[in-house]
Amino acid sequence: MKKLLYVVSVLVIVSMVLAACAAPTATPAPAQSTEAPEAPAQPTEAPAVEEPAQPTEAPVAEEPADPNALPREQTLYYNGLQWSSVVCWNPYSSNCNNAIAIGQNDNSRVPMFETPYLYNMMDGKQYPLLADGPYAWNDAMTEITFKLNAAAKWSDGTPVTADDVAYTWASNIKYNTQAGVANKDYIDTIIAKDPQTVVIKAKLGEDGKAFNPLQVNAYLSSYYVIQKAWTQKLEERTGGDAAAFLADVAEDVVYSGPYHKYFSDDTKVVYIRDDNYWGQDASMWGKLPVPKYLAHMFYKDNAAGTTAMKAGEVDVSQQFNSNVQDLWLKDNLPISTYLAEAPYGVGAQLPTVYYNLASNGLDQVAVRKAIAIAIDYDTIIANAMTNQSATFTQVPRSLMNPTPGEQALFDHDAVKDLQWAGKDIEGAKKLLDDAGIVDSNGDGWREYNGKNLHYTATCPEGWSDWQAAVEVVAAAGKKIGIDIVTAYPDWGVYQTVVTNWPLPEEGYDLFMFWNDGAGPTQPWGRIRKFMSSEFAETTNNWNGNMGGYKNPTADELIKKIPSLTDPAELKAVYTELVEIYLTDVPSFSLMYKPQLFHTVNESVWTNFPHEGDGTNPAVPPLILLDGWGIAGLYNLELVD
Amino acid sequence: MKGYRNYFLNKLLWLLITFFFAFILNFTLPRLMPGDPVAAITARVAQGMSNSTGMKEVYERYAEQFGTNKPILEQFILYVKNVARGNFGASFSQFPRPVGDILKTSIIWTVALQFPAIIVGWLIGNTLGALAAYQKRGFDKLLLPTSIFISSLPAFGMAVIMMTIFGVNLKWFPISGGYGFDLIPSLSWSFVWSVIVHYQLPFWSIVLITIGGQAIGMRSMSIYELNADYVKYSRFLGIKDRKIVGYVFRNAMLPQITGLALSIGTMVGGTLMAEIIFSYPGLGFTLLSGIKGQDYPLISAVTLIITVMVLSANFIIEILYGIIDPRVKAAQTD
Repeated sequence: MKKLLYVVSVLVIVSMVLAACAAPTATPAPAQSTEAPEAPAQPTEAPAVEEPAQPTEAPVAEEPADPNALPREQTLYYNGLQWSSVVCWNPYSSNCNNAIAIGQNDNSRVPMFETPYLYNMMDGKQYPLLADGPYAWNDAMTEITFKLNAAAKWSDGTPVTADDVAYTWASNIKYNTQAGVANKDYIDTIIAKDPQTVVIKAKLGEDGKAFNPLQVNAYLSSYYVIQKAWTQKLEERTGGDAAAFLADVAEDVVYSGPYHKYFSDDTKVVYIRDDNYWGQDASMWGKLPVPKYLAHMFYKDNAAGTTAMKAGEVDVSQQFNSNVQDLWLKDNLPISTYLAEAPYGVGAQLPTVYYNLASNGLDQVAVRKAIAIAIDYDTIIANAMTNQSATFTQVPRSLMNPTPGEQALFDHDAVKDLQWAGKDIEGAKKLLDDAGIVDSNGDGWREYNGKNLHYTATCPEGWSDWQAAVEVVAAAGKKIGIDIVTAYPDWGVYQTVVTNWPLPEEGYDLFMFWNDGAGPTQPWGRIRKFMSSEFAETTNNWNGNMGGYKNPTADELIKKIPSLTDPAELKAVYTELVEIYLTDVPSFSLMYKPQLFHTVNESVWTNFPHEGDGTNPAVPPLILLDGWGIAGLYNLELVD
Repeated sequence: MKGYRNYFLNKLLWLLITFFFAFILNFTLPRLMPGDPVAAITARVAQGMSNSTGMKEVYERYAEQFGTNKPILEQFILYVKNVARGNFGASFSQFPRPVGDILKTSIIWTVALQFPAIIVGWLIGNTLGALAAYQKRGFDKLLLPTSIFISSLPAFGMAVIMMTIFGVNLKWFPISGGYGFDLIPSLSWSFVWSVIVHYQLPFWSIVLITIGGQAIGMRSMSIYELNADYVKYSRFLGIKDRKIVGYVFRNAMLPQITGLALSIGTMVGGTLMAEIIFSYPGLGFTLLSGIKGQDYPLISAVTLIITVMVLSANFIIEILYGIIDPRVKAAQTD
């Protein structure tokens, strides 16, 4: 028995010592440079500018010594995008859980599949990608025409044609894909006028013009073009069955973007650059994107992702890193954000508290506004967001996000008296007193209709920044005689409840939900989701206005916007909507959240998008993957 | 021989009855969770979709596809038919990936982590327990409190302590994943070595917990046996100590073998904490993802595996006991 013990002990010790002697799998070399690049970045070339062809530069030509290893200096690592295995590579499916390859939205993700145009949230413009030059509406405002770039090729070497664009749309409709369902109310058909010319015919309104030109514009930079030949192959093997069509894993998919599948398992996904990518043509980028590989490990939570980034195993972080400034101020790591100072990122979304207007007293504007103006938003921004949001003093509340483009869309002076920055306890009390909503029985809580004002404020369990914010909301209620308690149901329950009407009588009086960030239909799309009665009292409602707000004037204005072209008129309408929103307070935002978190580690790579980096058009802080943000991949440099 | 057959048939009958009810619970319990998994899928699909009729279409399409709009009995019959064919269906949270495929890739990691950990922990624990009982004095005084301390630590506590000491502070071992972040699985030396290095912290966090419990159990049993009449009698007869110790440990080992079999039976669920803490790509981590995503087919499949393993382990132990120790069979068949 003693011998056995000795043997086991020796084995244990040897195993631990041997393992400990090894470096924990290629710990990255210490940072060579901890400074953000001070030299002006190479201006990003506007794609449509004609320039003589440049030789293709494969940035790092050396082949890896170990074919099973990803050379650190050729790989760009991400976190915060993918939490479990990639399921499929089918661009028609919305369920592939393939965050880097597939994402069709206002700022579409384009490393593998491409859209005709790229949206740039920094200037609100759409730049050609597969397209050649700008698109144009006809005079009657019934159709859009655009040309395709003659250099655009699929990964199998065949050209991208107008037929591909038309067939993609037809398939989206035929198989009821997300792209089809989302746009069939706005787009009638897409046809190939000739191999290079695409015509999008809009659904027409009563006036004979496009019913919603904004949505048609947005289609151009939001939805992929998928190869016709591959689609037909897919149809053939799935026998025209819509469910099978959307559930196909599509390992053989043909793509037009610069990256494609290299490796995928239950721990990571890796994409490899296609060195024959058409975009190296002078008419587009003029070169290949710099990293040969894009890789994403699956971390169990934000904390694990942050630990990996601190260890230099992550270059671009799309996750909420609490007190992000500590990474460079206290830990002295070569980590930075788009803005050097708070709020560190460009706010684009407005996480919002909706009122359930069916709850006792919440149909009263005085109650809604009193709660909203009593809240200490600065505390929310300092604690829940660790200052990664502009304050409501810096960017006074409206319906717009803090980007200059949206802020310019309404008359600030006209709504000045309606805006609030919060913590106005006396003002809130006065509002309630004036409305006759007082504590008549002396129990400390105000009553309405003979019942105490008692509410539950809620958000999903585990969404720590939102939970911290909801606690501040509840505290404000207590200061003005309104009993607000908090509850945090599981996300599975929460999402089922808040997206369906009627809301429960208890438990969901004030509840948080997200809304649209920056995009070609914004701020109209966001305002519609905040205020339009088309979403009020509906089921399966993932859009907004879940509290049941109805205002015919607001509806009219929202309906009017998409076809307005006169900037002055547009500004007047937006201003009126802001006035209505700040007067009626059907919901209120708690903070400004970036479109994406964009924290970069410059241990290995540098020249990431930063404010004032000299790029023109400015590359947005969208993790070098979304919309015009992908231009950042072409500007990267190795630290050495 | 007839006695053995009756004993075996009796045990088999109970096994089948237990399995029948466990199977129903496997199907029913996940579906009793509040919330709607199809709503979660709709949320993913609905990105960028602003028309409410479209949302409804998407929701209804998936409800139809997953059969969640059908009566629960109909769903159960369909489930039984599919499982009988070895088809656990498509995962909700990783749709359209088949559940079988998810299990296939993750179970290898779990078995590779947990099986050796249980065996090593069991061997070391029992050896230490036996030594403590036999040698007494200083060794026992040190081992007993240490074992009690370690075995009373929760599994996640041990994992976090090990991660903090050996991963974060000393940086001896990587703290997450099954292999290096910069590697692609292959049979190369660099990959195998990376797996070994990544293996250490989750492995030892399981082993240490196992050692404590096993050592305490073995020590108590050994002390009991060492004081048994047959030991005293053997000594009186002048039989060598070495021989007596052999008898003692064989007798003390019986309950420990039961513990070992049960540990192996429950190993899939047992790895949950170590796998979660270390982001280890095993079945426990998969089960957690399934629960978070209300992935009924995945949860049912994993719990079914656990059920089958536990029931099989119990059944095998019962049968072996009947053979090894006729008293057990006699008591049961009386």
